[in-house]
Parts: sequence; C-alpha cells; structure tokens
Amino acid sequence: MPTDAGPTDAGPTDAGPTDAGPGAEGVSDAEVLARYPTTTIDRDNKEFYKGWLRRQLLLNRCAACGHWHHPPAPLCPRCWSREVVPTEVCGRGTVHLLIRLHQGPPAPGVDYAQGPYPVVTVELAEQEGLRFTSTVVNCPPEEIRIGLPVALTWIERAGAPFPVFEAARNTATATAARKG
Amino acid sequence: MARNPVKDQVAIVGVGSTGFDRHGTRTSAALATEAATAAILDAGLTARDIDGVVSTGEPGAPPPQLLAAMLGLTEVTHYPRSTSVVMFALIDAINAVFSGSADTVLVYNPVLRLPWNSRSANEDPFRRHFSTGVATIPESMSMAVAYTAWASRYLYEYRGTREDFGLVTVNARRNGTKNPLATLRTPITMEEYLGARMIREPFCMLDMDIPTDGADAFVVTTAERSRSLARPPVLVHAATTGTAPCPAEDQLADLGHHGQHVVAKNLKAKSDLWLDDVDVFLPYDGFTIITLGWIENLGWCGPGEAGDFLRAHWDEATNRVLINGRIPVNPHGGALAEGATRGSGYVREAVRQLRGEAEDRQVPGAKTALVTAGGFFFNSQGLVLRAG
Repeated sequence: MPTDAGPTDAGPTDAGPTDAGPGAEGVSDAEVLARYPTTTIDRDNKEFYKGWLRRQLLLNRCAACGHWHHPPAPLCPRCWSREVVPTEVCGRGTVHLLIRLHQGPPAPGVDYAQGPYPVVTVELAEQEGLRFTSTVVNCPPEEIRIGLPVALTWIERAGAPFPVFEAARNTATATAARKG
Repeated sequence: MARNPVKDQVAIVGVGSTGFDRHGTRTSAALATEAATAAILDAGLTARDIDGVVSTGEPGAPPPQLLAAMLGLTEVTHYPRSTSVVMFALIDAINAVFSGSADTVLVYNPVLRLPWNSRSANEDPFRRHFSTGVATIPESMSMAVAYTAWASRYLYEYRGTREDFGLVTVNARRNGTKNPLATLRTPITMEEYLGARMIREPFCMLDMDIPTDGADAFVVTTAERSRSLARPPVLVHAATTGTAPCPAEDQLADLGHHGQHVVAKNLKAKSDLWLDDVDVFLPYDGFTIITLGWIENLGWCGPGEAGDFLRAHWDEATNRVLINGRIPVNPHGGALAEGATRGSGYVREAVRQLRGEAEDRQVPGAKTALVTAGGFFFNSQGLVLRAG
C-alpha cells in the first residue's frame, strides 16, 4: 500500500504547501481529499480522482510509447518512461468479468435486500487488457452478462461523482439527459 | 533442468499443529507457541537447537523475535517476518538453512478468525483491535473477490457449470471426515452444494474456505542433520513461488497467464519428480476455482477440463477424487473442510503422508507429494517433497 510520508497536500484555501496549484478545471488537492474522504489518495493517483470530480475517467497513458495502464503507477510498465499522463478514455467497452453480490460492503444507494448487486470489470476500447471495475446501472439484471457492450456514465455517491456503466444502447439517451 | 542446488539438501524434520476450529478464544501467540513447541519436540529437538524463526506474518501473529523470546530461544541468527501463504516463509527458512544463515529454523503459521470474515470474531471484544484495513466499496474485484470474478470468466470461456466447482467441495468435505484436526468433519452432497446460500455469485458459501483459529509449525534443517533426528526426514526436492504481470486482479491478462503458470513451469523444470511420480496431491482450495486452476495448469488435464477430469477420476465408493484410482486430492480436506490455514495444512499433511503417519488417510507407501498453495495473482507457490 503506498503511503504518503510528506506533508498533507493543501489547496489554496489552506495555509500549507501544495504540489501544484489547482488545474485549469479548478480542482485542488485539498478538494479531492475532502470529496473522497474514505478513498486512498496519494500523489500517484490524485489526478485520477480529480478527474472524477470533473466526470472524466482519466487513466494513465505513457507519453513516450502510448501504452495505457491502470491502476495509476509512477512509470510505464512497458518502456519505463516516467512521463505517464492521466488521459481521458472514451468510456466504451465490454463486460469482461461479472459478479453479483448477494451481500457485501455497505455503500450509499446499494441495498442488497433489493436483489444481487452487479459488479463488472469492463475491458475498455482503448487497449486490450485495459480494464476498469464498477457497476452497471439502468439495466435489467438478466441483461447484464459477460460480453455486454457498455458505456461510461456517472452517478453521485455521498455527494461526489462516481463512475459507472450502462448498456451501450442507452448511451445516446443518457448523454442527452445529462446535457439536458 | 533449471538450476536447483538446494534439491534434497534441506529437510522438514518437525511438524506441530493445534488443530482448527471456529469457536476458539485463544490468542495467536498461544496457538503459535503450542504448534511451535509441538514441532520442535516432534523433531526430537529442544529450544537450544533452534537458531532461526520465520513468521508467516498473519494478522495477530507475534513477530519472530518475540516468539523466540516466548520460547526461550538463546541465540537466533535469522528471524524475518515473511508474508501470508505459508511457502513464502517456508522457502525463506529452506534458503536460510541452505545458505548457513541458520542451521535449524522454526516456521510458524497461526491463523485467526477476524472481525471482517467471521461474525463470532466480530462479536469478540478481545479481537476489536484488528483493524479492517482499507475501506472497501462494492465495486471492487480486489483480493478475495477476484476469485469470484475470474470464476465468472472461467464459466463463460469454457461453458462450465457450478457443478465443476462443487466437485472440489464435495471431495474436500469427504476427506475432512477423516482429519481429526479439521474444522468441519461432515460430508456434503452435490445437492447441498448447489442449494447453499449464494454470497458472491457465481460463488456460494461452500466455494470459500472457512475462517478458523489454529496454528501449524514446521522445523527445517539440513538433510545431513535430519538423518540423526527423531522422525523419518522429508526432503525438500523443489520449491518455487510465482507471479505474472498483474498490477491489480482485474487487470490480469487472462486465465492462461497467471502465477500458477509461473509456478508450474518453474517447479517442473527444477524437479526430477513430476505428475507420474506423485503419490499425494495437495492443491490449494481457498476458493474452488483455485483448485480447478491448479489441476489444469500443472498439466493433469487441459484448460477448462478440470471438471471433466474430476468426474473421470471420481471414486464412487468413497465419493471423492482418486486420480488414476490411486492419488487422493487433499486427503486432509483442504481449506474447505480443515479451515483456512493459508497453506500450512497442505504442507503438514504432505509431511504426515510421507512419514507414513496419516492414519486412516494414509496413501500406502507414499514417497512423493506435490503441494501447490496460493491462488492466481500474488501468492502462487509450489513444493515437491519426497520421503528421505
């Protein structure tokens, strides 16, 4: 487990030092730490979670060789370049692994008594073997299966955005709804 | 043949076990010291003979320097804390003996039911100090959940059925009826397996090992010294651990490229003895999919064929597996019956079998044991033991 021995990254509203000022989208270190209080956030993955606050799924991509990796690591496992850049993925993919939790960790909006809760690992369109794990929403349980095409969407959990998937055929509707 | 200078040069000369149960109230130190003293005495040794102590690093386990003090060991020259699943610690001890870091090394592996995997442990106020660690969310395929995730993929890719998993459990529970150390000693039927409560679909209660309390310990020394000790020596013929590139369990390349493949390839290359020589086979069964994986990846059968392999080698008379009518699979009941020993139960049973001490579980004339512990991702391990 990575540990952060350094000083707490503080945002512009705090007195302490910051690694970098808030990005163009205005998410500070302090804000991402505050909005995801139970998540393990360190300097190698903070941009990943800042992306969540902007409803962008940013996975690390190597600037030198173009290889994607996840979860965030400080170097490219293929070429050892340290120029790994959090880069937005298109969010399309197919369900690769699927389980249905009949019981499990508590989370806001998750009620196991309502029926098994689906958890999926999605193989993303960007690269073979590049995957992201979440759930599928707005889909009848019997339609969720390995091989199902899905697309990224977002829900709110505990007052902060959380990335999830929905069946790909619903994407246009969902995107329109979000924009509306 | 791969380089293996340690081959047959180090022996397991002592084993000790507390036995395992689901209602214990003893501390990890109490369990570890009971198993440790039993193992040292089993070898015909005393505290004065032990100069190395290796911990498996299980939650609650006393660190090795503290265990050494509890046992009154006088001079200890090798005492690292290894990490969970027993062969990391056992191989460290073997290497320490072979290199001369220590002459006679104790490996101890106490396991406890913990507040996050056992309701009764969660209600035990003397276990409240065990932290639950990192907060988990439902949307995770990490750690234990990962086996359910890849079991789903296994069923998808090979058009398998849950009965394939259930055969592993029915076999384990039948074998566990003959193990006085086991947590569960009652058999189950396939119907009971299929009707068991679903936890993480496609896995039910009976696909997962049982949180349990207990400890095993082992004493390791040179093969040369082993010949003058109390028990028939059991020689370490080949041992390895293995992991494949896998930054997280959900990023594993596929079911054909994981730690078990690394172990199978390297263990086979180091060992003069292989499947045709094996008398007793002890594959991990912390989750049923792990056992199917070991059967396939060691080469007993091809990918996706383990269920059919188990059916083909099923002994109807005893309602368990006997490969080629002869080789039992986890005759002690594995983790599904004995309890979640995280590897030590398989090693202990291998030693008992090779010494001819396995009572009514004994494989007649057993000379070679193949033990494969751990799962797919970060703790796959293999060990070939032979009677000395």
